[in-house]
Amino acid sequence: MSEVLTSISNAIIQGKKDDIGELTQKALDEGQSAQDILYKGLMPGMDHVSDKFKAGDMFVPEVMRSARSMANSMKILKPLLIETGVAMIGKVLLGTVKGDLHDIGKNLVGMMCEGAGFEVKDLGISVEPEAFVEAVKEFEPDIVGMSALLTTTMRSMGDTIKALEEAGVRDRVKVMIGGAPVNQSFADKIGADAYAPDAAAASDVAKKLVKKS
Amino acid sequence: MRTNYRINSGVRFEMLSQDQLQELFDGVLHVLENIGLEVHHDEGRDILKNAGAWVDGKRVRIPQYLVKRSLEMAPRSFTIYARDGNPKHDIHIGPGRAHFGPGPTPPNFIDVETQERRPYVKDDARIVATVVDALPNIDFCESLGTISDVHPDLAASYEFAEMFPNTSKPIVAWSYGWDDSEDIHKIAVAEAGGQDAFERRPNYVHYCEPLSPLVSTFEAVDKLIFAARHRVPLIFTPCPLAGGTAPVTAAGIIIQAAAESWMGLVLAQAIQPGVPFFMGGVLSVMDMNAMILSYGAPELALMMAGATELAHFAGLPLWQTGGCTDSKVLDEQASLEGSISCFFSALTGGDLCHDVGYTESGITGSILQTVMMDEAIGYSRRITRGIEVNEDTLATDTIHNVGPNGHYLYEEHTHRYFKTEFWYPNLCDRHNFEEWEAAGKTKMRDRVIERTRDILSSHKPSAIKPATKKAIKEILEAAEARVKDKQ
Ligand code: B12
Repeated sequence: MSEVLTSISNAIIQGKKDDIGELTQKALDEGQSAQDILYKGLMPGMDHVSDKFKAGDMFVPEVMRSARSMANSMKILKPLLIETGVAMIGKVLLGTVKGDLHDIGKNLVGMMCEGAGFEVKDLGISVEPEAFVEAVKEFEPDIVGMSALLTTTMRSMGDTIKALEEAGVRDRVKVMIGGAPVNQSFADKIGADAYAPDAAAASDVAKKLVKKS
Repeated sequence: MRTNYRINSGVRFEMLSQDQLQELFDGVLHVLENIGLEVHHDEGRDILKNAGAWVDGKRVRIPQYLVKRSLEMAPRSFTIYARDGNPKHDIHIGPGRAHFGPGPTPPNFIDVETQERRPYVKDDARIVATVVDALPNIDFCESLGTISDVHPDLAASYEFAEMFPNTSKPIVAWSYGWDDSEDIHKIAVAEAGGQDAFERRPNYVHYCEPLSPLVSTFEAVDKLIFAARHRVPLIFTPCPLAGGTAPVTAAGIIIQAAAESWMGLVLAQAIQPGVPFFMGGVLSVMDMNAMILSYGAPELALMMAGATELAHFAGLPLWQTGGCTDSKVLDEQASLEGSISCFFSALTGGDLCHDVGYTESGITGSILQTVMMDEAIGYSRRITRGIEVNEDTLATDTIHNVGPNGHYLYEEHTHRYFKTEFWYPNLCDRHNFEEWEAAGKTKMRDRVIERTRDILSSHKPSAIKPATKKAIKEILEAAEARVKDKQ
């Protein structure tokens, strides 16, 4: 493998978010394709980070930097990938549902998805169903991720899915849900496409969801 | 006659110096005055503004003098009364007094019969209250769950209605907002005999949670306004996660949490001068690999000790945390994490120590954990009670009487003290091997389960007044009517 791609992988692993832009440019200047930079440089680096994290050898602040590095490189690669018609990994729209203010878990999910190469848009906390619908129309995500930490606000997840249906955009997206009181059977009940118990699992599930579609 | 003689009754625990505490205190004042917080409540902001706070949009900054004046106004010592007048169940808040109780609202509960984790249901509130009422070292009641088998908006109302008749120990109530706060208050006032009587002898405490970092949410402020107006002693307690929603350092999270809590203090004192106020904050680490808020981390005990010392330095009682665990079952981890935090909390004299019985990082409540911790608290309290030194306890006369080669078993001195000097376990087994074997080779967890079942089958809490029973029925009916059309 080319040296520059290896150094891109390493920069991801080491979370060199300020150097990655330069390295990405260097790789392009050396004639590497955007697709190769993504799949042979960034992704192997991030897979390594993800394995280390799951093994307990890397920690959230480090993964955060790696994920940010990934996103910084993707900013440069995105227009080129679109130009050459290479499929992007996907877009994730995230939010904590209406009435719920817990956000750190959702932020971690965002980070892990970013690390997996997704473009992530975070609508913040207490997001109304209508706001999800608007954002789906505007941002055109592949996945809508909803977080709820309260048994009372879990109801808003179902409401949001209904709102997506009523607006006729439900089948344009996959819906993924999570948060402490949420589980698979609740996901099935409200007709969500997937559930994940934690942020690392969330990015794995997100990858599977876009593969299927 | 002794002169110039100093007595340390109990174990002395001190972590931070006066200089360090002053520095933390100044840090809190700095955050409140220069950084400020967002207050998402129009009326709340108006009240703060009228009291002298600087309001800029949603951002509220509080000048130092106003914080200090509010600290002056809040009492350090006061009593929360047992609903039935039983003085043994009164809680006297004041220096050197640590009290313990369970925590609020996990979604799941460990079933006492099956030991399986399942959603919390209404009857669990009765179970928890009854067991709390019977346990000698548990002083106040919370439910350890969110009732799942009623209309979701009424979980807090049903919970209070279920607990109140089943314990006369003071309850720390939570709620979602104004309406359910009112349901709860009406029940407590019915028993107290009216609002005036309640104000003289408050029989519950209300709990509100602002958001970290640096936001007083609408619900938290609304509930605080309700409690302050009705002179309900209140707790304003954020739940910052070190490294996530608060600085990673212990000193940093303590000042942020204190600033978040003291915004509530200033507001409460502006509404109702002198209303009892507990500084709050569940302070712990966000585990950077497991991605949970750890309830079993040593840093929880440590940060809570720092927060307690700061509160006491500022003249406020503290809402402590302990007796909790990240373990999923009643095992060695649960015992280790819970016991050490209980002991540490007892040492600090943090005024109301809650979450005794939280497991799985606060996702599952377990009354079995509470029962096990009752033992740990008893054990801790024996240590914190310390060594009494006086002519009688020095026992020189008795030593003289017995002399070399004798024994102390017949001594009047032994008879006089053996019950109070020694602590006797309820759950820890001290029998010899043969006796232990003959009694069925039980493990700690077996004895915890047995004790819990025994209490449930035999303990009878004192009854509430018939008029209160009627009031509860009416209050719940009105609450049902209120939510009838909400799905
Ligand atoms: C911190 C906290 C707060 C803070 C939130 C601050 C903030 N900035 O987020 C404050 C103090 C504001 C708060 C308030 C309240 N809280 Co709270 N809170 C917690 C606490 C202790 C930790 C949550 C947390 O941050 N965990 C750490 C993160 C990293 O984990 P996580 O959020 O679970 O996220 C992970 C997974 O769930 C998953 N995930 C999360 N989102 C998503 C989304 C998707 C798409 C996917 C796939 C996965 C996923 O991945 C994440 C990372 O691995 C929990 C207890 C607990 N252990 O969960 C209670 C808890 C959630 N709160 C609870 C309650 C009751 C409340 C209040 C109602 C209390 C009150 N009466 O005031 C209010 C409600 C406010 C509101 N309207 O939202 C209860 C809920 C019980 C229930 N049956 O609903 C809990 C369980 C506490 C308890 N034991 O009672 N709370």
